[in-house]
Amino acid sequence: MAAVTLSHVGKSYGAVGVLHGVSVDIADGEFVILVGQSGCGKSTLLRMIAGLESVTSGDISIGDRVINDLPPKDRDIAMVFQNYALYPHMTVRKNMEFGLKLRGTPRAEINEKVAHASAILGLESLMERLPRELSGGQRQRVAMGRAIVRDPQVFLFDEPLSNLDAKLRVHMRTEIKALHQRLGATVIYVTHDQIEAMTMADKIVVMHDGRIAQQGAPLDIYDRPANLFVAQFIGSPSMNILDGQFAGDGSAVFITDKGVHILLANVPAENAGRPAKIGIRPEHIMLNDSGIAARVIVTEPTGSETQLTLDVDGHELVVLIRDRVDYKPNDVLKIGLAQNHIHAFDADSGSRLTL
Amino acid sequence: MTLASAGERRASQQARRLSGSRKVGRISYWPFVLPALVVVSAVVVFPWAFTLWMSVSEWKVGEPYHFVGFANYLRLLHDQRFLQSIGRTLLYTVLSVVAPMVIGTLAALLFNEKMPARGLLRGIFVMPMMATPVAIALVWTMMFHPQLGVLNYLLSLIGLDPQDWVFAPDTVIASLVMVETWQWSPLVMLIVLGGLASLPADPYESARIDGANAFQRFWYLTLPMILPFLLVAMTIRMIDALKSFDIIYAITQGGPGTASETTNLYLYSVAFAYAEIGYGSAIAVLFFLLIVVLSLVLLHVRELSGRILGTTK
Amino acid sequence: MSAATRRRMMRFASQLGTLFCAALLVSPALFFFLWMISLSLKLEIDNGAYPPIFIPTHIAWKNYSGVFASNNFFLYFWNSIVVTGTATLLALIVGVPAGYGIARMKASKSAIVIMIARMTPGLSYLIPMFLIFQWLGLLGTLAPQIIIHLVVTVPIVIWVMIGYFETTPLELEEAAMIDGANRWQIFSQVTLPIARPGIVVSLILSVIFSWNNFIFGVVLAGRDTRTLPVAVYNMLSFEQVSWGPLAAAALVVTFPVLVLTIVAQRQIVAGLTAGAVKGG
Ligand SMILES: Nc1ncnc2c1ncn2[C@@H]1O[C@H](COP(=O)(O)OP(=O)(O)OP(=O)(O)O)[C@@H](O)[C@H]1O
Ligand SMILES: [Mg+2]
Repeated sequence: MAAVTLSHVGKSYGAVGVLHGVSVDIADGEFVILVGQSGCGKSTLLRMIAGLESVTSGDISIGDRVINDLPPKDRDIAMVFQNYALYPHMTVRKNMEFGLKLRGTPRAEINEKVAHASAILGLESLMERLPRELSGGQRQRVAMGRAIVRDPQVFLFDEPLSNLDAKLRVHMRTEIKALHQRLGATVIYVTHDQIEAMTMADKIVVMHDGRIAQQGAPLDIYDRPANLFVAQFIGSPSMNILDGQFAGDGSAVFITDKGVHILLANVPAENAGRPAKIGIRPEHIMLNDSGIAARVIVTEPTGSETQLTLDVDGHELVVLIRDRVDYKPNDVLKIGLAQNHIHAFDADSGSRLTL
Repeated sequence: MTLASAGERRASQQARRLSGSRKVGRISYWPFVLPALVVVSAVVVFPWAFTLWMSVSEWKVGEPYHFVGFANYLRLLHDQRFLQSIGRTLLYTVLSVVAPMVIGTLAALLFNEKMPARGLLRGIFVMPMMATPVAIALVWTMMFHPQLGVLNYLLSLIGLDPQDWVFAPDTVIASLVMVETWQWSPLVMLIVLGGLASLPADPYESARIDGANAFQRFWYLTLPMILPFLLVAMTIRMIDALKSFDIIYAITQGGPGTASETTNLYLYSVAFAYAEIGYGSAIAVLFFLLIVVLSLVLLHVRELSGRILGTTK
Repeated sequence: MSAATRRRMMRFASQLGTLFCAALLVSPALFFFLWMISLSLKLEIDNGAYPPIFIPTHIAWKNYSGVFASNNFFLYFWNSIVVTGTATLLALIVGVPAGYGIARMKASKSAIVIMIARMTPGLSYLIPMFLIFQWLGLLGTLAPQIIIHLVVTVPIVIWVMIGYFETTPLELEEAAMIDGANRWQIFSQVTLPIARPGIVVSLILSVIFSWNNFIFGVVLAGRDTRTLPVAVYNMLSFEQVSWGPLAAAALVVTFPVLVLTIVAQRQIVAGLTAGAVKGG
């Protein structure tokens, strides 16, 4: 086990910059998840840690060793690929043994490790099958088994669950989490599924266009998004954003560009009159008879809750309501916003403003 | 001094990192390619260089090398037999491209349909291109025989006059093209079949729903989509037809007279029958240039059509 | 008649139509090879008859026994095997890794050299190579033919293998790299086993086109170094031409290739379609 440190890591393909000065400290045994939109550079960063891509600038260290120029096999890492990358011509057992054999591990030790890993993953009955004779979830497990037997300092996962159906994905999520707790290994995990990120991670690193938008504990990120991008990316359905400006007279009011007045808990004096955006999550909007009038556009019941899309003087707001409600399009109702759950962001830079 | 050295150090660090990282990120694949490179240089590139060198010489086997500049090339421009052979080659090529293209494409469309014993039928259809050319040439020669040949008998069955086939100057090219078509339509078929297999199903389904009939589906969907494959087939067919040798040599040896002497056969005579190495090399060079130019023309057409249809990769 | 029955009959009729067209299409090939067999099994009287006789009145096995008994047949057969076998083996040894390297370097453009090899008339290799072999004093041996057959076999192997390696996922090799394999281990233990179907295809095609080659032998082969195609062609010029034995000899020469074609039809079709299309 070991800590992983990325300091000012950059990557470019020719003139095209893909990663720009990414710095992350990953503690020993931590489960870190990289999230971000497609193409933001998650896989590239992971592959650089694995040694599959070269490092253009900055340093990557595992433990206290800078590993920039080390070939993958000397980095003491294991990786689980999105398509599992099982060797199609080898049985499950051979797949799991391959890495150990290459390292010249003694036969007895190989057998012991493979038996151990297959027991953990419940693969014992599948050991002599070829990958094509396995289901998706079983392949996934073999891929993990191949990583586990190596007993690496760091596990790398690149969207390991994205090829599984929804149910299996939830199941494997739990399994990976349990496995992490059991092995206590450092894990770096890439996904663009934010539920995966929220449920599994000790620390989430949100990436945007090759930069880190925010890093921190899942709930911290959820509760205090550092910028507009994170605010909108994390959370589903995503946060409602309204354009406008703070009242010029110093009162704690935000006036939207369509003229709706929203009461806030507090606005620091220096922000009076400042153009900004405010955000509020769907679950922080309640039905409130003394609130603002809103017209129903769409009702989407999911069973456990109801998602409403409302029109408030030209603003479209998504609201999540726990109770069963029976609204029809064009019904008019009144809503209120939970004042202390309103986020504010600078209109230009998008960075968080203190309220 | 300190500033400069710090800068230098950074630069050298950067350099080390770059060179080191290249090793990590992408391993070098040159060792894999090197042996083949050596072999290809030895059997392709080197002979070519040698041929160029010989083509500017007056050189017969057993005599010393004697530099003559472009004399051989100039001589070619006035060599009636060479010029005629070019014309004949072009005629032969056009016919041997068009006929197999038509038959091969039809065959591909047909073999793309479900039918009983498709594998067997396709296998039989492919056999002519796999069979040893000399062997089939011998049998064709027997079949072409004006008195005893089975072809004239077959003609007589449908009430046509017997032909002299490869034994008369005015039918020899057509007869050889017939053999060439019989032999090489399968290759066109295979390439087009590959194209048909790669077609997506959705457009067809939506076209059906839009009410397009079979012919419209072929004309508006299939044809544009397999056009790149047709052009590939055409290019390959053209190259092979231009340098066709085995069949012609084994059946007619360029005869009767020189009626079927294509450039490749003339090249053979000059280089190996008359042992004029220098002159033969010049023919080889010009002949190769002809093939390259014609291929480039077709490739250009392919790119153009690809761009028009938006199908280039 | 119900609509369903009518529809079934329509489908049957259209299938019959396709089948008829297909039969028409293969009839020249089928007729040719049947006629070839017929020629090879008939006595001279039958072969000289007009109108021609299709079914031999008397099966002339002696046409075949004559081929096998002719003094040099087994020598020529052996020559063919040595030339084709060695040229194919060498081509696989250098061509398979090369196809891998080219595919991985994404240097398909370098395959242009192969295209040039394809465009060059075989004769233009022959002039310089003939002289060189003469100087080296190799002309009495099989070496010249083996070497020049590489012009045919190496491009085929590289061609087919590039296509194959381009479709094997890079992820597997990366996994092996992380598992600790060096590049030779990756190639030999991961990539090569996966590419086995491609190797089989390139082997078959290489064998067929090398076996069939005629032009190189015509120029380079001496009396004792002829391959079968050259030998059978020489029968035409040196022995009194009689159709039965000639057809039998032709059939014997092309028989191995035809068998291979039928047995490995699937692979050949796959290889030729892929290879040819890549080649454009
Ligand atoms: N070899 C390459 N050459 C040039 N650009 C590349 C190369 N590989 C990746 N990129 C670019 O780098 C960026 C980041 O790619 P990366 O694969 O890391 O994205 P990702 O965050 O993993 O996305 P996804 O969620 O879709 O997997 C992309 O814009 C991609 O186009
Ligand atoms: Mg990715």
